[in-house]
Amino acid sequence: MSNKLLLHAEKIDKSFGPTHAVNEVSLDFYEGEIHALIGENGSGKSTFTNMLTGILPIGSGTFTLDGGDVAPKNQVDANHHGIAIVVQETGTLSGLTVAENMFLGDEDQFARGGIKDSAAMNRKAQELLDAYGLGHIKATSVIDHYDFEDRKLVEIVKSTWFDPKVLVIDETTTALSQSGRQKLFEVMRHVRDLGHCVIFISHDMGEVLDMSDRISILRDGVFITTVERGEVDEDRLKTLMVGREMDDHYYRTDFPDYAKEAPGEVAVSLRGVSVPGEIDDVSFDLHHGEILGIGGLSECGMHEVGKAIFGASFDRSGEVSLADGTQVKDINTAIDHSIAYASKDRDNESLLINDTIEDNITLPSMRDMGLVLSDRHLYEFADTYAKLMSTKMVSVKQFVSALSGGNKQKVVLARWLGKQSDILVLDSPTRGIDIKVKAAIYALLEQMRAEGKAILIISEEIMELIGMCDRILVMKDGTINGELTRDPDLSEQDLIAKMV
Amino acid sequence: MELIKKARQSQWYGVGLLLVVTALVWTAFKLLCPTTFGAPDQMLTYLQTGLIYAVGGCGLYFIVVMGLWDFSIGSVLVLSSLVSIGFAQRFGVFGLVVAPVVCGALLGAANGLAYIKLRIPSLIVTVGLSLIYESLSVFAADAYGTRLSDAYKMFGSYPYNLILALLAFGLCTFILGYTKLGTYVNAIGANEATAKNMGVNVDRYKFFAFVLCSLFVGIMSILYIGYGTAQTPMTGMLSQSLNFKPLMGTFFGLAFKRYGHPVASIVIGEFIISMMFAGFVALGMPVTINNVVTGATLLAIVCMTVKRVNGAVVK
Repeated sequence: MSNKLLLHAEKIDKSFGPTHAVNEVSLDFYEGEIHALIGENGSGKSTFTNMLTGILPIGSGTFTLDGGDVAPKNQVDANHHGIAIVVQETGTLSGLTVAENMFLGDEDQFARGGIKDSAAMNRKAQELLDAYGLGHIKATSVIDHYDFEDRKLVEIVKSTWFDPKVLVIDETTTALSQSGRQKLFEVMRHVRDLGHCVIFISHDMGEVLDMSDRISILRDGVFITTVERGEVDEDRLKTLMVGREMDDHYYRTDFPDYAKEAPGEVAVSLRGVSVPGEIDDVSFDLHHGEILGIGGLSECGMHEVGKAIFGASFDRSGEVSLADGTQVKDINTAIDHSIAYASKDRDNESLLINDTIEDNITLPSMRDMGLVLSDRHLYEFADTYAKLMSTKMVSVKQFVSALSGGNKQKVVLARWLGKQSDILVLDSPTRGIDIKVKAAIYALLEQMRAEGKAILIISEEIMELIGMCDRILVMKDGTINGELTRDPDLSEQDLIAKMV
Repeated sequence: MELIKKARQSQWYGVGLLLVVTALVWTAFKLLCPTTFGAPDQMLTYLQTGLIYAVGGCGLYFIVVMGLWDFSIGSVLVLSSLVSIGFAQRFGVFGLVVAPVVCGALLGAANGLAYIKLRIPSLIVTVGLSLIYESLSVFAADAYGTRLSDAYKMFGSYPYNLILALLAFGLCTFILGYTKLGTYVNAIGANEATAKNMGVNVDRYKFFAFVLCSLFVGIMSILYIGYGTAQTPMTGMLSQSLNFKPLMGTFFGLAFKRYGHPVASIVIGEFIISMMFAGFVALGMPVTINNVVTGATLLAIVCMTVKRVNGAVVK
């Protein structure tokens, strides 16, 4: 690593509605270094790098690369400035060939008079693939012929073949096998050895310490510190990453002795539940009068567990059974047997976003209302539960799309309150929600637990799990990797140790 | 197994499969009605009708591959045909060929502009505009008449129909394979947000796609009017019935897109459908039964080729 500054971020700032995702972050990146950026989910790492690489517009602040300001309009524009990214999700497009994906948005280099020289483009793409040791991938083949790992490797070639000055690797390793990771690490070292900089985002602390020269930590969108690799170990990094005080004001304050106090009857049992590529052989019981948490890294499979219980996981094997022996295999059975589900993807999977609050709240309860529906009854029903949840609205005739994230979540919960559901499966119940609404939702969950309802919280927020749950199941790579019971001494490090 | 896997990965697998289906359909009907179906001269007739719809199918492909719809192509076909009749009377072959293509391109530009500016679904925009185009076709018929002069029927028979159709297929193949537009329409269809992130000007290419769609329908109208020799105006959304046959070819193109030869798939697909219609006629079946069997066959072929994911949202 040289001491020559390559990229400087000055007070970079970004908000999404009430969420302050990146809060005036200033950072320096030097030539010839691999610089890790770590933090909890939602700490602002990806938002920061997405602004650098043109995926998101910069809220405020400036990036200075080689002495000049850069504000890329999109990824290709970023490439032209010498900045590239390999994104967390799939970054290749179906229906296009490997070569077309590699040069998408940059075909002009192969065009003469507006006519694309496909043969030249294919030749160049194949040369690059061969040079990276990926000769088994054919430039002329449609990308759909290849699996997720090969598509990721194509993205790596696409992002690095032009020797970018700054290369961002955003949580890519989880998508790769051991050999794929080695390939990626080779590329990262090559970029560094050329005197350029790699910004490396990963949740794998071992990987971070092995690969990085310096490590910067973000927490809740705020820059905490930058450390040299030799100065820290994994435990120290985890502490820096999550080191904040627990706020007693909105979490539960009771600590029942789970070993001594018998939990309520079993509400739902999962036995050997598997979904190909998502979860493998998951078994546990959820009791009445209990809040059970499931935590882990975003891609650990925990979100699929919620869908599996609700009958919304279509390739599921294994059993989800209720206390009376009913097997839950589809969504209708789940709703008929008092199971409620709030998806993490609130706008697309939980709400009818372009419909009224009334329709959203009454929809699952309509099946109990007879053949002829009364307008007045529907209105009063929706109004009662929307007000019970203190939803901020003009009336229940208002469209859900006009509500804030927190109020949308209140509508989701009001829907299931109205359905009198006894078993609640809540995936990321407070995602993108401000503290005040968070507190209200936690109070409601506590009340429902006291009423004997069975509640499953799936969350990427560790403090939420520690603060609210009687038991926590930690998932890793699609399986349950550990179980922790409610305890005042339970720390975030205890959970993280089982997650990563 | 390895051989089958390799064959499926070949870019010629889709075309090969369609040719096998073609042979099977021909064999089946030939066995059922050996004297009235499948002779060489009859095959040329099936091909002729297939070519007409395949040209329209190629145009529609630019739209449907992006996840959009153009339900105005029937009315564009009618209006372009009438314009072709009128301009042939005044400018001869030049008018016969150029006028409908220009007319199609202008109507496509209107579709594209309305879609981009109004920001409402393409289906609604094109259905709304087709009502306007239908009304214009009444004025065109009043002004130009509805019959093509005998002197200009050359595109209704070989070799001119084949030459024009091949030029159209060549143009479509060229645009899809050798221009940015070809790549970008696929990219927009795969993931519009990602395409935008890659610097693709999505609105601009959607507009061009609408222009190309109707331009190809304009070319189709030259073959269509040459074959049919007369065109009456259509109102009250009657032109919607003309959307179906080009759309069938487009579906073949989409279903076999991943094998890399959408134009060939559209052409062979239209030929199969044309052959099936003729086969059912040869069997003496009523048109309604023809439609049932043809529709079911189309669905079966698409189901065979499309990777269907259990539980996935399909629109």
